[in-house]
Amino acid sequence: MGIRYIKEPGLIDPVMIAAWPGIGNIGLIALDTLRRSLGAEQMAYIEPSEFFYPKKVIIRGGELVELDFPASEFFYHKSGKRDLILFIGEEQPSEGGGVYAAGSMAYDMANVVLDVAEKYRCRRIYTSGAAVAPMHHTARSRAWAVPNSSDLIAEFKGYDNTVLMSDIEGRGGEGNIAGLNGLLLGIARRRGIDAVCIMGEIPVYLQGFPFPYPKGSKSVLEVLSSALDIGIDMAVIDELANQSESELTRLYEKLPDEIKQQLDRLKESTVAAAESERLITEEDKKKILEDIDKFFKHDGGGEQH
Amino acid sequence: MSGEEAIRLSGIPDLKGTVLIVTWAEDASSLAERTADYLIQSLGCREFGEILPEGFFPMGGVNIVDDVACFPQSKFYVSDSKGLIIFKSSIPRMGWHRFLTSLLDVSKQDCKVKEIYTVGAMISSAAHTVPRLLISIVNNKEIKAALEPYNVVGDNDYETPPGQKPTMSSYLAWLAGQRGIPAVNLWVPVPYYLVPIDDPRSVKRLIYFFNSKFDLGVDFTNLDSAIAKQNNKIARLFEKSPEIKNMVRRLEVGDGLDGEESERLAREIAEALK
Repeated sequence: MGIRYIKEPGLIDPVMIAAWPGIGNIGLIALDTLRRSLGAEQMAYIEPSEFFYPKKVIIRGGELVELDFPASEFFYHKSGKRDLILFIGEEQPSEGGGVYAAGSMAYDMANVVLDVAEKYRCRRIYTSGAAVAPMHHTARSRAWAVPNSSDLIAEFKGYDNTVLMSDIEGRGGEGNIAGLNGLLLGIARRRGIDAVCIMGEIPVYLQGFPFPYPKGSKSVLEVLSSALDIGIDMAVIDELANQSESELTRLYEKLPDEIKQQLDRLKESTVAAAESERLITEEDKKKILEDIDKFFKHDGGGEQH
Repeated sequence: MSGEEAIRLSGIPDLKGTVLIVTWAEDASSLAERTADYLIQSLGCREFGEILPEGFFPMGGVNIVDDVACFPQSKFYVSDSKGLIIFKSSIPRMGWHRFLTSLLDVSKQDCKVKEIYTVGAMISSAAHTVPRLLISIVNNKEIKAALEPYNVVGDNDYETPPGQKPTMSSYLAWLAGQRGIPAVNLWVPVPYYLVPIDDPRSVKRLIYFFNSKFDLGVDFTNLDSAIAKQNNKIARLFEKSPEIKNMVRRLEVGDGLDGEESERLAREIAEALK
């Protein structure tokens, strides 16, 4: 088990940003956009066989020619003022077969990623993922920030369109971050490394579907741009977000009127979750999810992408 | 737990240049398991070790199959006289790399295995009366050439479709190749309506291959008897139901059945073969 280095660049005071797949692939899309925007180069990868089952076999003429595993790769970017290490995991290791990391393999993976962070003396680590929110897909996603140290709270309160858990009605500053986005924060804290998870909002009714949600990714990128003081070209993510919204609107129009009316109530909640929690009850939320699930799986099955 | 700690062996066979046959449970029509059982019984194999379940299977309880509580097993058997090793195992649910590495450690270091064969079933829309194909996937060209005299179909192209995963047999063959051990994945297409039951013809196809290739001297009497018994039961069903007979005839000439017909055929064959 270990890391294979392709390059060992000299990096100055770097920050690490990590992402794995999850709801709406919000973190993954954000980080991949950042990687492309910066032209980050691969520096290392984690040996996959200890963590993952193969994802693909290629057979030619009856001969097994290739066996591919999910990739877990490190990239670097030297900016001269703020060097970065990006970690992109194609899959979360899970002993239970779920989407999110679980068990000792997840703990081992988090430690391997943090070993790289420590080797390069990263002064901070960011993870990124999704925050499921009672919002409408036409609204702007906010970013929820969860630091692993109270010393970081003041900084994140200062960023535009960014909320802490205590800003969200009914949560009392509490919650849960599933999988490696959360685990990394906890283990980084044990190692004395500052870490923050930035989560882009995704509408509650999209959480169970395999739709990417680039609007949530954009909110993550905006926070990272401010926190890292780097310029990020948003043209690509804007285009993805526009395409996604058009596609969702097209599907939305096909929903039965009864479901659409329920979801339209979420349009009124654009700023404070406190308002939206009052607009849609837990019972409403459960019914909406059941109705949408039924629509996509049965009546509207052909419309999934 | 290390790879070595995961293995328990006693009475390791003193063999050189042996062949290992690997079978996984939960196969369509239990083909792999039935093939292993027939070989173990016919050749009088003895058990000589196992890979322990801890770290490879969830320990949250047991599954109940056919009224019986089951527990995962991964056992080694040997025919000392024929120089053949059989590994019969449940499919590990986690720690796959360590599991397969443990299997290859025993194979290479303890048993001096020179070739590995895995067996498994593919689901087919062909009729049960159609002769069974034997399809091979290999991990090197030399072993592919060595299979040519045995009427094995070995020229397929395939890529795992999105949303699916490679088989454990492919993974094993890949790792074996990295250690320089030639490996063959053998697949037999099993008629879809026999998947939940038994397909002795497919078992016979595999045993026939191993018998020819390694001169095992297997007695086929019990298999032939099982095939005859199945044929009789299906013939009685045909007498009672000409529609079912017609459906099977259509499959024989490559005509597909619609969903309702397919379900009916599977249901009535299952009932007849009870």
